[in-house]
Amino acid sequence: METNLKSKAFQEFSNAAETLVNPVLQRWKDQGGKVVGYFCSTVPEEIITAAGLTPFRMRATGSTGTEESDAFYSSINCSFPRHCFNQVLTGDFKFLDGIVCVNSCDHVRRIYDNWKRFVPTDFIEMMSLPRKTGPDQVGWYTEELAMLKDKVGKHFGVEITDDRLWEAVKLHNETRRLQKKLYELRKQEKPPITGAETLAVMVAGTAMPKEQYNEKLRELLDELSGTEGPGGHRARLLIVGGILDDPAYIKVIEDQGGLVVTDSTCFGSRLMWVEVDENASDPISALAQYYLTDRPSCPRMYGEHDNRAQYVIDMCREFNCDGVIGERLIFCDSWLVEHYMLGQDLKAAGIPMLKLDREYLTSGIGQLRTRVQAFLETMGR
Amino acid sequence: MVDKGLERTIAERDHFEFLLKFLEESPYETSHLLIPLVKANLEHYKDTVRYIEEGKPIIASYFSNAPEIFTAMDIHWYCPVSAAFAGAGANPYLMNDLEGADKLAVSSDICTLLRMAMYYTEAGLLPRPTAIVGMIIPCDGIVALHEASRRSKQWRGIPMFAPDPPYFTDERSIDYFAQELRRMVDFLTEHTGQKLDIGRLREVVEVTNEQYKLWQEINELRRAVPCPFNWGVGGGPFALTQNRWVGDLRGLEWFKAALADSEKLVKAGKGWLENEKIRLLWFDVHPTWFFDLAPWLEEEWKAVIVMDMFSYCPYTLVDTSSEETMFHDLAKRNLMDTTMIRQAVGVADNFASDLVRIVKDYKIDCVVWPAHMGHKDGAASVGIMREICRDLGVPFLSIGIDTFDPRYTTPDEVKNTMSQFFTAMGLG
Repeated sequence: METNLKSKAFQEFSNAAETLVNPVLQRWKDQGGKVVGYFCSTVPEEIITAAGLTPFRMRATGSTGTEESDAFYSSINCSFPRHCFNQVLTGDFKFLDGIVCVNSCDHVRRIYDNWKRFVPTDFIEMMSLPRKTGPDQVGWYTEELAMLKDKVGKHFGVEITDDRLWEAVKLHNETRRLQKKLYELRKQEKPPITGAETLAVMVAGTAMPKEQYNEKLRELLDELSGTEGPGGHRARLLIVGGILDDPAYIKVIEDQGGLVVTDSTCFGSRLMWVEVDENASDPISALAQYYLTDRPSCPRMYGEHDNRAQYVIDMCREFNCDGVIGERLIFCDSWLVEHYMLGQDLKAAGIPMLKLDREYLTSGIGQLRTRVQAFLETMGR
Repeated sequence: MVDKGLERTIAERDHFEFLLKFLEESPYETSHLLIPLVKANLEHYKDTVRYIEEGKPIIASYFSNAPEIFTAMDIHWYCPVSAAFAGAGANPYLMNDLEGADKLAVSSDICTLLRMAMYYTEAGLLPRPTAIVGMIIPCDGIVALHEASRRSKQWRGIPMFAPDPPYFTDERSIDYFAQELRRMVDFLTEHTGQKLDIGRLREVVEVTNEQYKLWQEINELRRAVPCPFNWGVGGGPFALTQNRWVGDLRGLEWFKAALADSEKLVKAGKGWLENEKIRLLWFDVHPTWFFDLAPWLEEEWKAVIVMDMFSYCPYTLVDTSSEETMFHDLAKRNLMDTTMIRQAVGVADNFASDLVRIVKDYKIDCVVWPAHMGHKDGAASVGIMREICRDLGVPFLSIGIDTFDPRYTTPDEVKNTMSQFFTAMGLG
């Protein structure tokens, strides 16, 4: 991606965000390492890491069409699973040694069914993710995670002990702390890293073994520490939405002068703003508690809208944002209604919001530019 | 201040009065089945008006929340989407409602039923309930609807509970959902003061068990060639087990009458339609404008809707021997039997096995997946459906409709598509 950052570490993150198999991941594979793909940020990467595997968050980077998957999906389906399953069919995910799915949304959950029926795969698992976030649901999800742990361990021939799990929790919490430090830098008046660049760093974090990722992120933080960006932006923005993994989309917004300084997305701050409790009695229930209840939720979860809205408002204040951009993949019911409500909440809080529908592959750039420009102008910027 | 919710309820009540009078004065072949359904609705609206006027607790709820429990607790409840489901025949305000929903700042790519429900709530057209029992199954949209209801101006602050549906249907899942139903009972007691009498629940369930048994028998007879069942009463079993007269002996009488009609035709070797030529599986719920399409299918193509999503369920009979067995089996029934829930929640194997069984058992000539614009999990399963039908050697058609809005794909466009399909497949 186009960047002013001279950092070698950032270049590696940027490359990782632009491809499925980045060089670090490829080296891992070449050395006999295994990779397990997972859909949705509610799947605990820690269990995969604890098994000595590398977790890989599923995305459809590099997809150019849906010719193959069109026979399995319809035109009223979100373009993310259509592109992703297209890549499954064309063999782009052959580097994966297994898949873990949850019933995240109506579109993505059917990838499990289509994949299982039409593409031979040694290890593919489905978990039942509750719709609520109370103690009874944490209990349910704890059982789901315990079963997943056993299945992963059995299939890959690894005993996933509590010690290994705690080790993984600590490693992933370290990732979260480092990523949060990166976000903290963006609170500066002239942040040393843009929103697009930050997204590349975050996406890379879901596609590399965590030790190497953390090492490189420390390197990047050292380089950025005490520096500042060019400034001169027209407004500071927060972006809120679902699976946004393409830095180029944010770059279009930033090229209009709207600097994205923070977010509430599932490749962004919702992944790391809080940590897994390392003092809990057992690691599996700590993970269930974290993934279901403690971390900021996405709108598939019932009864949490007020908390989600408050999270956005708090982030806006913390990062001194002038406005919010809500992005939604077309045909996503969850984010459609969420943005409808959030627009009202933000209005009451005096924060302007622009709602944008988009396709998974960044397109319609001219229209996007125009809408962002108009939004900035309505804010008097 | 005008209570729009009460005003609208009174208007709907009056419409059912009119419908009843019309049906009683103009009897035809299926009047004896339609009249009780209209009476059930009329009674429901009368009760709702009375409860509002007397200030008694009313619950807003949905199907699949074990309505036997509501009856056993003597709680009056209404379904916020029943007017949207009713179609133009039973809801004379349908087009106004659709236009009202269009004015919401919500994109039209979400299920129209949910947009209409949001409109009803925001426009104050629903009676303000004492408490809400939500349904967060089987799609993303319904969860979103409940979030919107919670924070709407009209309903903000009303206590809401929604049983959490697990994704699977194994014993662990059923036990979990049974516990959710128990929590629902606690919630209802807290907010209405009504208590659950287990003896009364047993009485109610014994009646619905009988209803489900008769429903099963009716479905068995629908296998006959020619098919004895009429599409026009297709939604009756669903309505009477999940919505109106739940656990009421009058509902049981309806099932007996419907079964007697089918038995009579089967014994005589006759079908509902003379010269049945195409046996069709309509693999979804009936669109609200089905009264326009289904008679045309019969007249133009001699095509009979032998089975549909409203009708097909595996008829879980509830073991009434103890409180535990009743909650367990009610959880199973509401997770695994209810229309749309059964087909849409959980892994695709659920609907895939139904599809195979229906095609074989009911001697289906073709499968029509209407592809309602809100059924996105189904839209993501179209490859699986197509493959199953290909393996079974049965033609498959996916159309693309809006179950609740005839403007999306008009009935004429649907007719045209179906005619082309029948012709291309050499059917009829």
